[in-house]
Amino acid sequence: MNLHLPPCFQTVFLALPLSLSLFRSVNTSQSYSEVQLSKNLQSTNPSLFIPQNLQIQYQFLFFVRLFFFNYSVEKIESLSFAITQLFISFLISTFFLTNFFLICNKSKPLSISINMTTGNPSYTSPKPCKHLADYKLSHGLSGYKYLQKYLKTTPPGRTSVEKPDTKIPRCISCDGIQGRLYFCLICSSVSCLDHTLLHTQSENGHDVAVDIERAELYCCVCCDQVYDPDFDRAVMSKQIMGIPRGKNGDESIGERLVKRRRLGSGVGQELVDLKISKHLISLRDRRAKSCYPLGLRGLNNLGSTCFMNSVLQALLHAPPFRNYFLSEGHNHENCRKRSVDRLCLACDIDGIFSAAFSGDRAPYSPAQFLYSWWQHSANLASYEQQDAHEFFISVLDGIHEKEGKSRNQSGDNGDCQCIAHRVFSGLLRSDVTCMTCGFTSTTFDPCVDVSLDLDTSNFPPTNIANKPTKPDGNSSMSTLLGCLDLFTRQEKLGSDPKLYCRNCQERRDSVKQMSIKRLPLVLCLHIKRFEHSPVRRTSRKIDRYLHFPFSMDMTPYLSSSIVRNRFGNRIFAFEGDESDISTEFEIFAVVTHAGTLESGHYVTYLRLRNQWYKCDDAWINEVDEAIVRASQCYMMFYVQKMLYHKANEDLSCLPISPLRDTFIPIPGCC
Amino acid sequence: MRASVNRPPTPDVGDTQEKQPTLEEIINIKFIESGEKERLMELLRERLIECGWKDEMKALCRAFVKKKGRNNVTVDDLVHLITPKGRASIPDSIKAELLQRIRTFLVSAAL
Repeated sequence: MNLHLPPCFQTVFLALPLSLSLFRSVNTSQSYSEVQLSKNLQSTNPSLFIPQNLQIQYQFLFFVRLFFFNYSVEKIESLSFAITQLFISFLISTFFLTNFFLICNKSKPLSISINMTTGNPSYTSPKPCKHLADYKLSHGLSGYKYLQKYLKTTPPGRTSVEKPDTKIPRCISCDGIQGRLYFCLICSSVSCLDHTLLHTQSENGHDVAVDIERAELYCCVCCDQVYDPDFDRAVMSKQIMGIPRGKNGDESIGERLVKRRRLGSGVGQELVDLKISKHLISLRDRRAKSCYPLGLRGLNNLGSTCFMNSVLQALLHAPPFRNYFLSEGHNHENCRKRSVDRLCLACDIDGIFSAAFSGDRAPYSPAQFLYSWWQHSANLASYEQQDAHEFFISVLDGIHEKEGKSRNQSGDNGDCQCIAHRVFSGLLRSDVTCMTCGFTSTTFDPCVDVSLDLDTSNFPPTNIANKPTKPDGNSSMSTLLGCLDLFTRQEKLGSDPKLYCRNCQERRDSVKQMSIKRLPLVLCLHIKRFEHSPVRRTSRKIDRYLHFPFSMDMTPYLSSSIVRNRFGNRIFAFEGDESDISTEFEIFAVVTHAGTLESGHYVTYLRLRNQWYKCDDAWINEVDEAIVRASQCYMMFYVQKMLYHKANEDLSCLPISPLRDTFIPIPGCC
Repeated sequence: MRASVNRPPTPDVGDTQEKQPTLEEIINIKFIESGEKERLMELLRERLIECGWKDEMKALCRAFVKKKGRNNVTVDDLVHLITPKGRASIPDSIKAELLQRIRTFLVSAAL
């Protein structure tokens, strides 16, 4: 057998597949991350996820195999030849199998558990127990309708069952009034818990009862609370009818807003699809620790401007914001042509982005931006120390002013389309409920951040003698989730002066509750670390440590959850769940403050590719996450989880900066 | 659906006559009838939320459910779990306030 082809044939046969595979690897790297993203949405084709080097090898072997096969068609004699063929086939198949396993293992951490299309799974109705199902089969909704006339509602939303003849519900067997009492749906008898269970045993089929105090279903056989949307609907229709409404009731506001198309996910996709730069090339080695991610550059302190530097660092790495500016979202030429005055904060921010992502690591002085910002916020123009949060708001305002005028003011829903609002703007819902009649007036306010009070919980484990078991150590520590709970808690409004209730036509006690109607792409949480003492007429900074999570699910703070919980344990969906926007967020920047109200220093911690970096004006170092956790947070920036992971992928594909060796922080003038 | 057909057995006449309402029961009945109990319940709910007790109990329940698994927990389990801890951890200030209110009520009800 003769395998010795003329050398030119051999080179052609081997060079062709190699070149093809190399060419393909260059072209597919660009779409790698996009493919990753689309995979996470609906997984299909596994072959695209073979790592680049293995892909090339696989193709190479495939062509080698083809080559041998072509050749073997003519000369099939030799056994050794057959063995070599088999061996090569074996190699190819093992490569394919290992790739397959790699895909399986790799895809697990990458696959996103967010159920993007079907919404929040925790509020889908739980399956009814067998007994509830049987009850419904035999009695349908008649029992619920019968119960409706016994329902009594108290504002702001508590429903109970009350028989008109008896003021005090008593157990029919033991006359007891202690504990929970249950109203049997079949025989309308009221019993305490023990006798309810006995009742089920003695009377066949009397399984389903209603908790009198709460108007909630209870299955006596399963000994557990059960849920039925029809029951909740029956209770809620009675309740909602009972609560008086104004002319434009809550429903109309809700309907109007539900009909609006969701802003977030549409814009997010659009910004994400914009390629960062056309001349990106793929990187084989993604874990190059010696190289800092692109865009990380120190900012010189131009005279107490750490407040500005800290917020700028956070903005530089807010994924949608960054993508917009790096993809020429704000065109400098058009901007100058369009407006008479040269003042445009967005242009200067564009300049900062260009400087930061240029690859140059020497600390940059954002002097032009500072000057422009001074022009914009004349009242803050000084060398005094300023508040970072104030600066953040004024910058967003400055961007909006310029862009809001030039662009189409109202997009699809009447929301502003300027980049500041597209990225940071969310919607807060505020409900004020009259304590007397239950009338609720709802307002929706847009916001670019959420300012939270510290939850200094008054739950101190002081009196040890009285409490045999000390609660968990965390009870006295403030947490971010605790602050959010405090923010969305029902707050009794002061009685001086009382608010005017439209329905009662009088001044009444009322209760206010905040919730988040629509989440932004980037959520900025600001902690109000100052307290004002009206007695001493002084303000003081609160240095209390606040624990904050790196990942957060905002579902419990959405309007749908808060309004739902107001009425007890219900499955009834209020004004549509905001199911199409993801509620999972990842932190990417923390602005910390050290010092007092009058004088202090801001430092930003950035999280890029799951590594934390400390940005202290011109000095940037890698730090451990423990240091970040222990820091005193002032503003925290969370981005939607999907955008965070996409941003990480993008960073991985960026070329290594030319100054590749260890990062040398160069102290700037201070 | 009417109460006529499936009524539980009528309690014996002898039993009810022997039971004397205790002082606690009398007070309780007076409370409910006048509506004071409902007002005090609302006040108590408000105070317990303010001081963070409700969040504590919620956290306890969450931890328990996480440990046991969502489908293996009943409401009764949770009630039995948090009743002793809950009762023990109510702050004294709240107890004092409520006792004061009850005392005032009793004086006014002239028992």
